[in-house]
Amino acid sequence: MSKKPVTQPALHKVIMVGSGGVGKSALTLQFMYDEFVEDYEPTKADSYRKKILLDGEEVQIDILDTAGQEDYAAIRDNYFRSGEGFLCIFSITEDESFQATQDFREQILRVKNDENIPFLLVGNKCDLEERRKVTYQEASDRAKQWGVTYVETSAKTREHVDKVFFDLMREIRARKMEENKTNNGRGKDKNKRKKIKCVIL
Amino acid sequence: MDFESPDVMKDFPGLYASEIHKTKSNDPEYSDDAEKVTKKDILIGKRKDKKDKKDKERGYAALEGESSAEESYEVRSPSKSKKSKSFKFPTKSREKREKSREKDKEVTEKKKDKDKRTDKKIEKDKEKCKLEKKEKRIKSEDWCDIGEVLPIFGVSLKLAIEHGRCHDGIDLPVPVRACIEYIEDYGLSFENVYKVSGPKSKVLHLKKLYNQREHVNLLDYDVPTVTSLLKMFLRDLPEPVFTSDLLIRFEEAGAILNVAVREKHLKILVGNLPESNRLLLSWIIVHLYNVTLNERCNKMNVQNIALCLSSTLQTSQRLLTSLLFHCPALFPNTVLEHYVYPLTSTSQLPDDPEVMEQELLKQESLLAQIHSEMNVGFISKQREELLWEVQRIITQLKRKLKTAHKDREMLFEKIDEQHVEETVENEAERSTTPTISSEAEVQSECVEETRVIETDATAEAPVSDAKLSDSSSCEKSSLKEVEPPEVPVSVPENKLLNNALALLQIKNTFLNNLKESF
Repeated sequence: MSKKPVTQPALHKVIMVGSGGVGKSALTLQFMYDEFVEDYEPTKADSYRKKILLDGEEVQIDILDTAGQEDYAAIRDNYFRSGEGFLCIFSITEDESFQATQDFREQILRVKNDENIPFLLVGNKCDLEERRKVTYQEASDRAKQWGVTYVETSAKTREHVDKVFFDLMREIRARKMEENKTNNGRGKDKNKRKKIKCVIL
Repeated sequence: MDFESPDVMKDFPGLYASEIHKTKSNDPEYSDDAEKVTKKDILIGKRKDKKDKKDKERGYAALEGESSAEESYEVRSPSKSKKSKSFKFPTKSREKREKSREKDKEVTEKKKDKDKRTDKKIEKDKEKCKLEKKEKRIKSEDWCDIGEVLPIFGVSLKLAIEHGRCHDGIDLPVPVRACIEYIEDYGLSFENVYKVSGPKSKVLHLKKLYNQREHVNLLDYDVPTVTSLLKMFLRDLPEPVFTSDLLIRFEEAGAILNVAVREKHLKILVGNLPESNRLLLSWIIVHLYNVTLNERCNKMNVQNIALCLSSTLQTSQRLLTSLLFHCPALFPNTVLEHYVYPLTSTSQLPDDPEVMEQELLKQESLLAQIHSEMNVGFISKQREELLWEVQRIITQLKRKLKTAHKDREMLFEKIDEQHVEETVENEAERSTTPTISSEAEVQSECVEETRVIETDATAEAPVSDAKLSDSSSCEKSSLKEVEPPEVPVSVPENKLLNNALALLQIKNTFLNNLKESF
């Protein structure tokens, strides 16, 4: 395999964050296995890997589904550090979860120390329009303020589920390409270049 | 000073001469007297003079010699200069001045050299710093530090267990488990096992690998190296396995002559040991006992083992001998279980729910360890990779377990439903079967024939078997009306069986009729 780095698909690491019960696991499971689980079971941490076609290119996606509860905050940093892109999820039926996204955003920026980290603000449970507490405008304003995109999803109906994952992966890929370019531009360290090539191709 | 007496001088001129020199060098005022002595004392004179000359020549040589002797000259100069006065007055001073100039020059040169050197040193230091920085970079990437900050060797047993945790619930440091396992498998028949030691470089390398949590395959090494590694671990423990508090009492107990009393005392003391110490001691003694059981092959009897390992375990041979002697009584329940490492992503997950649950515990223990190590600051790409991998395995295991449990529940539910269905069917049997069979007759004959034969066979088989085979296809059979004969066969009641038999008879006659007509 090492001789043919081309055959090794790129790996993008996505982390799901958000308060408890907003549907992080539901989104993940819907994306991974096309299933919707009604019964709620708090997640401690779960990780999935899937091979997908991203714009005709075979890539692997690693999804880390984190705990919404503060109880597991201690181990969260370890995961955040290794994430390449983040889906910050709240429930449009719960204002508190929307407010909490601010904290999550700050935490991620603190750990990653990078303003331009691939990041999507996701309002889940958009099938429950009648119970909506967070308006679309409100959410998209915040997203604008952060310089990120806002998408509304429904893990139940699978609306926009693929979209959020694929959009994020495109962002991650673009980001990696950029980094690769700057690194190649420097061109000081051959080994480094090689290493990066391995990762990208 | 007795040496000052002339007799002694006669007897030991050499001694005296050296003495004079010493006094000369120590006391400069004495130099003239010394001259007098050399002139007056003819008895000693010749030899002494020679000696003096020799010495002075030496000194002179040193003075006029190469500049490399600069420093020695400096040290000697105060006394030498006075000595030299007595021999070569005029030249000396000039020479000396010249020398001093030269010296100065040389000193400056040296200083320059030194400066250069220091410059070089600084450069070297810089280089070193760079290297160190590079190393640090590498370290931060490759978790090299972990062996220095959280080592398994050379720390207390408690920490060693914590740092090198086995994730299967038997809390011994990984290297101990691995070494014992290896020696139990490959070393029991090795001649002079534990007596022969392995090459130190290899042992140290293994130690380093374990300290840095790298994957170690002991099969790449030989028995002496592995025994030496285990011995090194035990020797490096800051406290003996018997604990500092209990060691003396252990020794006392080991020295008791009465076998029964000794055993009793040792048992109590073993019971008093902290959990981890007791576990380690039990494994080591049981393992060494196994070694001595193979005395014929490995030539290591109890005495030899005790001799080889008493210092390692920081005890006396006597205590070790008695522990080995009482091993079966002291540690009857110790089983040296093989340690199976947690699965990696490349290996296939188990299917048996019980094995899955065990594996899940292991993986969770491993995950907790990775988290704790990361929280201390050991963060590297490989570490993060491992973290995700372990997390993924845990998720997969959980999912698999869930589905397994669900399947089981479904199965039970099905069986329950089956019973309900059966009772319902029993009642509806008489009315439904004829219609079904009539419909079935429309189907092609060949299929029917084989079916009939099959059902004939199963009808005679025990009812329970038929029920089992049918329970899975229960839903299908109830949905598809094409399989009428199976329904009655699966029902245990006699009435139903009779019904079935009657049905079969009808069918057979029908078929026979058909055949005849053809």
